[in-house]
Amino acid sequence: MTIEPVVSRDAAAVRGRRQWPLPRLADPNAPLLVVEDLAIRFRMPSGPSVKAVDGVSFRLDDGEALGIAGESGCGKTTTALSLIKLLPANGRITGGSVSLFGIDLVPKTERQMARYRWREISMVFQGAMNALNPVKRIGDQIAEPVEVRLGQPREASRKRAGDLLELVGIPRQRAAAYPHELSGGMRQRAMIAMALACDPAIVVGDEPTTALDVMVQAQILVLLERLRRDLGLSLVLITHDLSVIAETCDKVMVMYAGRVAEEGPVRRMFVAPRHPYTAKLLSAFPNIHADRRTLSVIPGQPPDLRTPPPGCRFAPRCEHVMAVCTQEVPPEVRFDDGVRVACHLFPPGSPGSLAAGSPLVVATAMPASSVMLGSASWASTSSGPPASGPAS
Amino acid sequence: MSDELLRLEGLQVHFPIRGGLLDILLRRTKGVVRAVDGIDLAIRKGEILALVGESGSGKTTTGRVVVKLTRQTGGRVLFDGQDVSNLWGTGTLRPYRRRVQLIFQDPYETLNPKHTVGDFVEEPLEVHGIGTSGEDRRLRVIAALEAAGLRPGADYAARYPHELSGGQRQRVVIAGALVMDPEVIVADEPVSMLDVSIRTELLRLMLDLRRERGLTYLFITHDLSLAWVLADRIAVMYLGKIMEIGPAEGVIRSPRNPYTRALVSVSPSTDPPEPGQATKRVILVGETPDAAHIPAGCRFNPRCPVAFDRCRVEEPPLFDVGGGQQAACWFAEPGAPPMPDPARAAPAFVPPPMVETSVGAAGA
Repeated sequence: MTIEPVVSRDAAAVRGRRQWPLPRLADPNAPLLVVEDLAIRFRMPSGPSVKAVDGVSFRLDDGEALGIAGESGCGKTTTALSLIKLLPANGRITGGSVSLFGIDLVPKTERQMARYRWREISMVFQGAMNALNPVKRIGDQIAEPVEVRLGQPREASRKRAGDLLELVGIPRQRAAAYPHELSGGMRQRAMIAMALACDPAIVVGDEPTTALDVMVQAQILVLLERLRRDLGLSLVLITHDLSVIAETCDKVMVMYAGRVAEEGPVRRMFVAPRHPYTAKLLSAFPNIHADRRTLSVIPGQPPDLRTPPPGCRFAPRCEHVMAVCTQEVPPEVRFDDGVRVACHLFPPGSPGSLAAGSPLVVATAMPASSVMLGSASWASTSSGPPASGPAS
Repeated sequence: MSDELLRLEGLQVHFPIRGGLLDILLRRTKGVVRAVDGIDLAIRKGEILALVGESGSGKTTTGRVVVKLTRQTGGRVLFDGQDVSNLWGTGTLRPYRRRVQLIFQDPYETLNPKHTVGDFVEEPLEVHGIGTSGEDRRLRVIAALEAAGLRPGADYAARYPHELSGGQRQRVVIAGALVMDPEVIVADEPVSMLDVSIRTELLRLMLDLRRERGLTYLFITHDLSLAWVLADRIAVMYLGKIMEIGPAEGVIRSPRNPYTRALVSVSPSTDPPEPGQATKRVILVGETPDAAHIPAGCRFNPRCPVAFDRCRVEEPPLFDVGGGQQAACWFAEPGAPPMPDPARAAPAFVPPPMVETSVGAAGA
């Protein structure tokens, strides 16, 4: 079985169409974004600190869309905020690296981050009404980063704001409108226009469609898809809604209690999930195109991250729990089809499928061998260029 | 039908638009928002009816009229055969409110952070003077909490909302409704704020409660897939009118109104799209118009991919299409030609074209 490249896009071409040069320290041959072994702690007013993110690794290539899924409190938003170092005051990156074009952003100061925030990585927040300034016209809000970050003259920034509004489907005359004069869907489009203001390499969307009606959500997703294609954007979508990921992303990373449970191509993972948590999440999703009342329940709640359970953090809620699960942290194992799983059901060297009769076995045959993801290897196996990692 | 519990007849809620203080003083109006514009609904005992619609469809207003938080401007509300449309004032409403309870969307805002869970659940008992003694009330509170799946109830009763997860909070809200031993529960987006995994548990709880207590639900949601999972019948609302109503199976599997078809086609699914599948989806252009300016003719016609001349002048009534299903569309009229496939008829939703952005590549 041959594995299709997740994104058949030429990184050189994507980077070639940049309007602005790469950061001075950038390695032009480095992958776009590699997060390795990221750890984030939150100090609490009393008691032990919370390990919100604990050893998360992933990789994002040029033009690729990665979805990060999981329940509230699994660390998905914290991971996203750490990419531009916008963590709350009591949060701190305690380990690992976030490398953009090979530049590690973790040790950067606030001043140094100014070069990367919005110009390389921008963000679309969840509540567009809260994220937009209610007393400024949207055109001015979009023009501001162009003026401040890129040092463009006011006239050029204004013109670009108008162009960007048209790009997301808002007539440029609406630049004079205040946020409250726009509908929810329009505000979300304006937020997207603002995120695109400095022609960033990566746009991070934190629940970008969660508060919207289904029809408006469908419109926004089509828009994001087109922007990605036309502008060569890379997307990171944070959402608890797996359908959004199914529709727009190439890769998905399922997080649980601050760790990666499973990561891989959407077409593989959503059809043939390996991790019991992924399987549960998928079957708990109400699907109008499937039979009624077949939803499954994930009993219990995610653990308290001040005192996480030893071993696999999903073990207390897992139907397939074994003795080893409560004692040892499962290693991350990579399979030939590009899926990475952290579950004792899939130990290093295990064949790609479970024994017959297991509810996790799906009709699709799995590739036979697996590859251990060593600490030295890069975070993910997208086969798109410029992947030249030492995997397998 | 004899087992009919709740009936809405020609229900109308029109809100006047007043520009400013002077308008209010002169009782002058600048227009009318027709939030609910004449709907008929009947809910049988033990039934779950889902009212589905986008923002501005009037679904929440309808729910508020049923629980008597908003006054209708026309039509009637009948409960158990009695006209309750004009019951107002706390004294006369109390017996009705005991039997019809409301569950709100946001469990974070419904609960008072300074009151214990027990206080919250007990409050309606005090208001209605139910229970012979403090001890009797306490037992009722514990029973309600346990019925909502919070066991042991005595333990939860002593907790504060901040000690609970989102799912547990919503169970507390449900317990607050159950303690009155109601017959009808109006649930307005009861699970929309919750994670998918927790949603399922609450939907199961709602189904269990119906089985154990014979509860009747009016389930209000914007999410057609939740309605599909839970409801016996589904009513789809658009701009204050019912566009289609019928058994869930019929409305979802063979919708006869183009709006319902479009909603079904864009309903979220976790199946990664196959190549070419995108063409089956009907993504409507634009957004729901505001209810102060309802289009003439069929109110859906400006966004309808299959609208024809008649739709622009004449509003279709609900036509019977068999199997207890009704659709408000001229294509559902007996003898009408079959509806063209909206996915083909629709000008595909084309996102706006690329524009050349003009900022030159000056040095960074």
